[in-house]
Amino acid sequence: MSRVQVDRERCVGSGVCESLAPDVFEIDDEGVLQVHREEPAADDLDGVRDAVQSCPARALALAE
Amino acid sequence: MSVNTPAGPVDAASPDIDAIDLSDRDFWAEPPAVRHAVFDKLRAERPFAFFDEPTMEGMEPGPGYWAITRLADLDAISSQPAVFCSGQGAVSIQDIPADLSEFYGSMISMDDPRHARIRRIVAKTFTPRMLEQVVDSVVGIVDDVLAEARAKAEAGDGSLDVVADIAAPIPLRIICDMMGVPEEDRLLVLNASNTILSGGDPELTDEADPLTALLEAGMAMAELMGRLAAERIENPTDDLTTALVNSEVEGEKLTHQEIASFFILLLVAGNETTRTAIAQGLLALSENPEQRAAWMADPSMDKSAVEEIVRYVSPVTWMRRTATQDGEVNGHSFKEGDKFLLFYNAANRDPQSFENPHALDLARTPNNHVGFGGHGPHFCLGAHLARRELAVTFRRLFEICPDLEITGEPARLRSSFVNGLKRLPARLTGER
Repeated sequence: MSRVQVDRERCVGSGVCESLAPDVFEIDDEGVLQVHREEPAADDLDGVRDAVQSCPARALALAE
Repeated sequence: MSVNTPAGPVDAASPDIDAIDLSDRDFWAEPPAVRHAVFDKLRAERPFAFFDEPTMEGMEPGPGYWAITRLADLDAISSQPAVFCSGQGAVSIQDIPADLSEFYGSMISMDDPRHARIRRIVAKTFTPRMLEQVVDSVVGIVDDVLAEARAKAEAGDGSLDVVADIAAPIPLRIICDMMGVPEEDRLLVLNASNTILSGGDPELTDEADPLTALLEAGMAMAELMGRLAAERIENPTDDLTTALVNSEVEGEKLTHQEIASFFILLLVAGNETTRTAIAQGLLALSENPEQRAAWMADPSMDKSAVEEIVRYVSPVTWMRRTATQDGEVNGHSFKEGDKFLLFYNAANRDPQSFENPHALDLARTPNNHVGFGGHGPHFCLGAHLARRELAVTFRRLFEICPDLEITGEPARLRSSFVNGLKRLPARLTGER
């Protein structure tokens, strides 16, 4: 099972991940990233991989 | 290097590398082709070129800076914020006093963890999910502005100014709506943000005393903020100003000065960059009519076209970083305290990263440009908003003003920092 990992030191809440995989990522009212599904559904995996690639803060990883 | 440039324009075909001086104000008044030829030369032959700092009245000259022009170097520096910090100033080449730098740069000129804490206050507002809710208002504002521009042109001889009538009012109204700035104060915001980001263009600031003009503009914005903040404490709304006055960082409310500088950052950044992308984008489309026709006919190109406009225009030319330690980056040694200017305009035309980099290709994919900044914590907060504004603006322009025609030369801002236009003459031909 693939697992999403967030480097909290790096994350600045840019929301790029949210735009690519909205079911998995959401920036909350405090500006902090919430991961709704740490083990994303198969349908979401492409979006999550995109998000890992595109994260401007390089704060995301997907352990597969 | 960086000796005085000989009189006369640099030869666009093959600039003399030892005559290049990015600190020469006159260089930034050269036509874009000349400037791009210079950056091509630096990127290819001297990717870590060193320049003396521009002189500033009443200030000791600083040690100089490295000009970064390759995308790979820019990204390597940008993504190591602990080694290449922003806290010593990200928006000025000279070391200006820290409080002044923070006042005008806010979190742009801060490092984590403080930068991250401040940024989180507004992060949510600028996420795609939240911006979905403002789409309707963006469309409404764009339609209003375009209808007004059309009416104004048709009441006269059909002519209009793309900057004053289209590119400036759209982002101004959107960011002022988000911040809750009342109608009657918006001209002040426009003028003050022009001054703050004019880079000393003689038309917009008093050349003899640019610092005073800058301070006065900052004061005017701070006064406006003080007034709005007091109102929002009494009567909270759902705007960003209310979020700022009510937010706490580490259990403490932001100080008046922190709020004012945040306010200035959001207003200035929200205005100037998108205005530049719209105005320069329209100019680029008129210079590439086949690209314009293809985009106009195909709304599915909106996404890639917007990215390409941001790459091609590179509204913000550079940001600065300062080394916190001795080290090496991509084979180049540097010392603690060394300054680096990250030239986004040059990296965005790097042939290693973009095929045919000087061509406008609205279908370009992938397009890993650095128009919103390189990787790292300072990636543009407003990127999602800017993309939305640009997509709506161009699409509605194609629908409401398909007969828009650029009729003359643009008046370019003489600034090293913003790739702005002051005026761009156009007309509506009436042919639809």
